[in-house]
Amino acid sequence: MIHLSMETLVGLREAGMEPGAAAAREHLDACALCRAELERLHQRVARLKALPPLRPARDRWPAVRDRVRAERRRQRARFAGLSGLAAAASVALALAVSTLRQPEAGLTPAKIEQTMARSQVLESAIDRIDPESRVLDGRTAGIAQELEDRIARVDRELEMVELTEPQSRDSDLLRLWRERVGLLDALVDVHATRASYVGL
Amino acid sequence: MESFLLADAESVVARARQGEEAALEALYRAFEGPVYNLARRICRTKEDAEDVLQETFFEVCRSIGRYREEGSLWGWIRTIAASKALMRLRRNKYRDTDELHDELVGHLKEETHLRMDLEAALERLSEVSRAVVWLHDVEGYTHDEIAGMMGKTASFSKSQLARAHARLRRWLGEEVAA
Repeated sequence: MIHLSMETLVGLREAGMEPGAAAAREHLDACALCRAELERLHQRVARLKALPPLRPARDRWPAVRDRVRAERRRQRARFAGLSGLAAAASVALALAVSTLRQPEAGLTPAKIEQTMARSQVLESAIDRIDPESRVLDGRTAGIAQELEDRIARVDRELEMVELTEPQSRDSDLLRLWRERVGLLDALVDVHATRASYVGL
Repeated sequence: MESFLLADAESVVARARQGEEAALEALYRAFEGPVYNLARRICRTKEDAEDVLQETFFEVCRSIGRYREEGSLWGWIRTIAASKALMRLRRNKYRDTDELHDELVGHLKEETHLRMDLEAALERLSEVSRAVVWLHDVEGYTHDEIAGMMGKTASFSKSQLARAHARLRRWLGEEVAA
């Protein structure tokens, strides 16, 4: 008698009907050896599933977190740069149009431009401090993280506002860029205070 | 599985999408065990598995905004982990170490009738065979899914699984006289 190959036995465990499965099942009914082999296969798989879970020896979260933070800062810088260019163009246009129509309405785009410029200065200041390379105490790190989270939220809101109608977005843009500058200011303070505290 | 690992998964995912670091860490803490276990079962070394763990969660943090909640959260994270682990195998080049090992010590093993335990036998399989066994038999992926992740055919996955079980049976001393 020709017994079932391992490939056929493994195929019998599949949910769908493998080619030749009917004939294989017929053979199984008549062959105690192959039934025993299939049973051993089932038991082996059950033992594989029951193997104790392996755990990492080291905590890799700090490494993941640092990469996420670095990536976030790169994105932020890129976002600030790109939206800066786009906004500078629309601000220039808005300034030209509003100065012709209503001189006082030109103040908002100009203020946005100033606030964005301030934001870029603060980003550069943070880059110079290079926070990723510094060790912070738990409390300071917590504050810095809270500020980073809030800046990320503001950036997402800014992305959404950029998609709205031009006539309604200026006041929102100004509010968000001001909020961003306030948060960046606080972040520079946190890092600068810590840096001077440890004599860096 | 996530309701077991992460009780308030929906709210954690929502906060993680906002970029909240505490929520991203909660995801890591909930799933680091299963991700590492999957990576360690596929990769040859602990160091490779730890790198896969790190790569997986970096990807999870970057892409959580794209997770659409159509499948389970664990299913989504697991697929990222499996892809990263298989990518690591490709980078390290597949090594058919079980075949090499067979040639070197096969005769000795037959002579001494030494039985290996399941952990040791699994470890001794080639990286590809072990990956197929783990993904199919333990994680429940189909041959088509495994083939897709490995860039191979379903037939390749099926024959790897059959060869792996034939070897495990031999190494575990489960062979019976016909």
